[in-house]
Formats: sequence, structure tokens, C-alpha cells
Amino acid sequence: MLLIFQRLWQVNWAEQWQYRANLIMYLLYWLVSPIIYLAVWTSIANSKGDVNGFTANDFITYYMTLLIVDQITSNIVIHTFGYKIQDGSLSGELIRPIHPMLTNALVNNISFKGLTIMGLIPVWIVLFFLFKPDFSNVALSGVLISIPAMILGFFIGYLLSATITALAFWTTRVYSIHEFYYALILLFSGQFVPLTLMPKLIQEIAQYLPFQLLIYFPIQVILGKLSTAQITHGFTMAGIWLVISLTLFNWVWRNGVKRYSAVGA
Amino acid sequence: MPPITIHAKDLSKTYKVPEREGGFGAAVQSFFKRKYKDVKAVQHVNFEIAQGEVVGFLGPNGAGKTTTLKMLSGLLHPTGGTSNVLGFTPWELKPEYLRSMTLVMGQRNRLSWDIPAADSFLLNQAIYRIPDDEYKETYKELDELLELEPLVKKPVRNLSLGERMKCEIAAGLFHRPKVLFLDEPTIGLDITGQARIREFLREYNKRTGATILLTSHYMADVTALCERIIIIHHGELKYDGGINDLSRKIAPFKLIGVRLAEVNSHDLTKYGTPVENEEDAEKQYIQVKAEDVTRVTSGLLADLPIHDITITDPPIEDVIEQAFNQ
Repeated sequence: MLLIFQRLWQVNWAEQWQYRANLIMYLLYWLVSPIIYLAVWTSIANSKGDVNGFTANDFITYYMTLLIVDQITSNIVIHTFGYKIQDGSLSGELIRPIHPMLTNALVNNISFKGLTIMGLIPVWIVLFFLFKPDFSNVALSGVLISIPAMILGFFIGYLLSATITALAFWTTRVYSIHEFYYALILLFSGQFVPLTLMPKLIQEIAQYLPFQLLIYFPIQVILGKLSTAQITHGFTMAGIWLVISLTLFNWVWRNGVKRYSAVGA
Repeated sequence: MPPITIHAKDLSKTYKVPEREGGFGAAVQSFFKRKYKDVKAVQHVNFEIAQGEVVGFLGPNGAGKTTTLKMLSGLLHPTGGTSNVLGFTPWELKPEYLRSMTLVMGQRNRLSWDIPAADSFLLNQAIYRIPDDEYKETYKELDELLELEPLVKKPVRNLSLGERMKCEIAAGLFHRPKVLFLDEPTIGLDITGQARIREFLREYNKRTGATILLTSHYMADVTALCERIIIIHHGELKYDGGINDLSRKIAPFKLIGVRLAEVNSHDLTKYGTPVENEEDAEKQYIQVKAEDVTRVTSGLLADLPIHDITITDPPIEDVIEQAFNQ
């Protein structure tokens, strides 16, 4: 199994390099909205002194951390896999004795991430000198604890996106469903605005939804903003959602494959 | 009697295809209420294939050959009937089943488009758990027969149709499958390439005792490889038996094409049955019985100002159409 993942990595890594220009465009697109949020919230906080207790530096550190966390926990499986179900090119992968989405597509996403993170580093350094964030509250322990949190976040997000992608077995247009999913992420993950600044009700709901596990929870762990009880709660939710998303994905996939029509040659 | 490896019992597949008339009104209407049409691609097909058999699967375009292959390999769930291949129900897609069969279909199946085939081969080695020495040995054999070496280091997208097909076939055989489903394995290849693939498949069958079910547009593929033929037409099984019985059943015809000094200047009815052929508008084609070919040809050459003359087998589709449409 290890050898399979190693060879899958070699193939996918080599493939990614074929599309460097595409990759750079994608990275720029990915970076635009967090940088806009960063700039807007920072200037508001600067003019008013703070926003509900959030100072300019709070916003800067939050979004600078978000750039990294989002890069690690996000995925693009809908774009790299959805079309295969629709145009029949899944056939070749379906008759291989490994799961198409839990092996090849997964490695494909991770290798894509490897490259975009390499592209993110110089951008991040430039932003660092531009906004001069004060990261003095960040402790090593928080960074270490955030690693499993981000890994869990990535897998939960991947399985949810994979579930939506697998809906392509029923409807050939899954992008609109994914847009809706993305709107939920924007609202409940803490991407649009740190969740503590959201109305109380949304904060309450967000606690039990998976989306904050992808962004808000790892950020707060890194920035040292959470109590031990809150961290435990976060990891418990992550464990529960991992099981839920895996079960959901398996069920949708198993039933979807039965409907696969293997169009084309 | 060798054991049966492929069973198909009452195998059926009906596609539900959305249909609507052209035009704006119909488009709006179909948004609210979709009409579906049932397309019966395969209907109650029954056959059994024993271990080591090489069977030719023939039929005109749209007859249901590919659909049947897709069901037997597990890609498609049938709408009726059952199948058992090597003791497995194909569409359960059990890894043990997938490791012991192969489906070669089309041009973009097992190879990754953007990287050299050699890298895809190595990936398959890992996926199918092929030991290193066995992999090297198989590679050597495949290279000898298919001349892979000059091809495998180029990105697949830069290969020609025939070169890609060679690599596809190789990629599908590294794990030494016991059952091979081949959909048009020689399509896109030149005559030498076709002969090589045939030779290779015959050798593979003889050496490993693998069961092979193949479709092809080329009669030569079928006559060279298969003793048994299954013919399917409009989704129904029309013939299952020896290739020799089939040729007796279908009167053996040849197609003679002639180009005269002046296009279409003579009526050829007295030499044979004129047939339509769009391939070459400057040629007239007649169909004659195989045993009459020499006599008719010499007659034509003696009587008429002939610039060019060709003698070919009629396309498989035409032969089957003639034999089973009446």
C-alpha cells in the first residue's frame, strides 16, 4: 500500500508540474479574497481603534494564519474529479483494484497542495513585511497541536467535497451544489470574518458544524486563543465529523457507482 | 473440458435517455417535465466461455458489444440478468476480481495523459502488486512484441494513435490477467501493428491459458485469433458457434472495386451485384462470390479500360447486416 501511494505521488507530482501557469493563476485567485478581507478589516480596526475588541493586529495575525491553514485544509477535488464521472473517463480508474477517490484523487490533491504552498511562501513573506504582524502570542505548543487539527480538517473537508463530487453520478451538474457548499464554508468557517464577531446564534450553530474545523478552529489553536476545554471540544467534534463524512461518502459512492453509465469509450 | 470462466445469463441493459424536441418551447417544457426514452442496448444475452477460449464478439455499430463488455468487466450494472466471471460478480468490483482481469477499451484508459507511459507502468506495478522481477520479465516480453522502448519515455499526449494503443495494451497486461476483455484492440494501428498485436494475443493465450473476448472491426483479427464467434445485433444474440460454420452460413463474398478510364462509363451488372461504397467515389464496386473472383477479374481486365482494380473483404458490419437482417 505504501508503494502505491509513493508511485501515485510520483505520477501526480510530475503531472502538476505540467501545468505551472495554471497553478499560479489558481493560487492568485485563491489568495485574493483573504487578502481583501485582511486589508478591509485592518483599516476598519485602525480607524475605530478596534472592532468588538479585535484590534488591527488581531485581524492581521488572523488572516495571515488563515492563508496558511486554508491552503492546507482546502481541496479542489470537485474540479479534478467531477468531470471524470460525467464524461466517462472514470472507467479506467474504476476497474483498477484501488479506490479512485480515496487513493489517486486524494494524492492528486495533496501534490497540488505541495506546489501551491511553495507558491504561497514568497507571497506570505511579502505580506509579512507589508503588515508587520505581531505573532508574540503564538506558542510552539499551539502550533504543534494545530497540526493534527489541520490534518483532520483536511480529511473532513476532502470527504465532504468528495461526497458532493460523487453526486455527479445522479446529476451531471454538481458545480452549483458545490457553490452552495462554498457559501456555507464562507459563513460558518470563519473565512469571511472571525467567528467571534458573528452574531451569537451563528456562533452557536457553527460550533456543531464541520466547517469551522477547516479554518477557524486550527487558526485559534495556533494563535493560542482557546482554553483546554475548547480544544478538547474541537477535537471531539472533528472525530465525530470525520466518522460522519466518511460514512456519508461511502454510502453516496457505493450507490453512485451503480448508476455509472461509463459513457464514451 | 476446461472450466467455464465467463457466464452471462439473461444479461440485459436498458438505458434511460432523456429526449426532447428541438426549439425553445420544448427546452422550457423539458425543464419541468422530462421525457425519457428506454434504449434497450442489450437484451437477454446468454453465453458461456470456457477457460482458454478466444472468442470474437461481433456486431454492427450500436449492437451492444461494448455495453456487454462493460457489464462483464464490472463498469456497468445490468438492468437484468446475472453474470459470473472467474467466480465473481463483476459489478461488485472486488479488488481480487479486478486484479485478475483486464479491460482494454479506447485510447485513454490506464495511461496518464501528461506523463510518459513508463511512469504509468510503474504505478500499475504497485497497484497490482507485481514483484520486481516479474515486472521486468513481462516488460521485456511486451517490449519484444510491441516495441515499446522508443515510446515509453515520451509523454503519452505526444504519441500517435497506434503508439498509444500499444502502450494501453501493455499497461493492461502487466498483471497477467486471466480474463481479457478487448474492445477494438487493433484500432488505429497499421497492418504490421495489427499483425503484431494478433501474434502477441495468440502467444499470450497459448502460454497463460487466459480467456479472451474481443471485439473488432477487422475480420482479419477475428479469423486469425478466434475459433468461436458470438454475434450480437440490436442487443440480441444472433449467433454463437464456430467461425467455419459461420462462413458457411454467410456466403463468402469479395468486393471488387474498379476505376475505369472514364468514371462510371460502363454498367457492371453483368459481372456481379453493384454495391454502394462511399470510400472512393471514382470507383465502382461489385460483390461477387469468392470462388468467382478470378474469373470475374480476368473478364473485367479483358473487357474494360481499367486504371485500377482492388479486391477486398466486405466490412464485417455489411456481412452481418446481410446475414442477420433478413
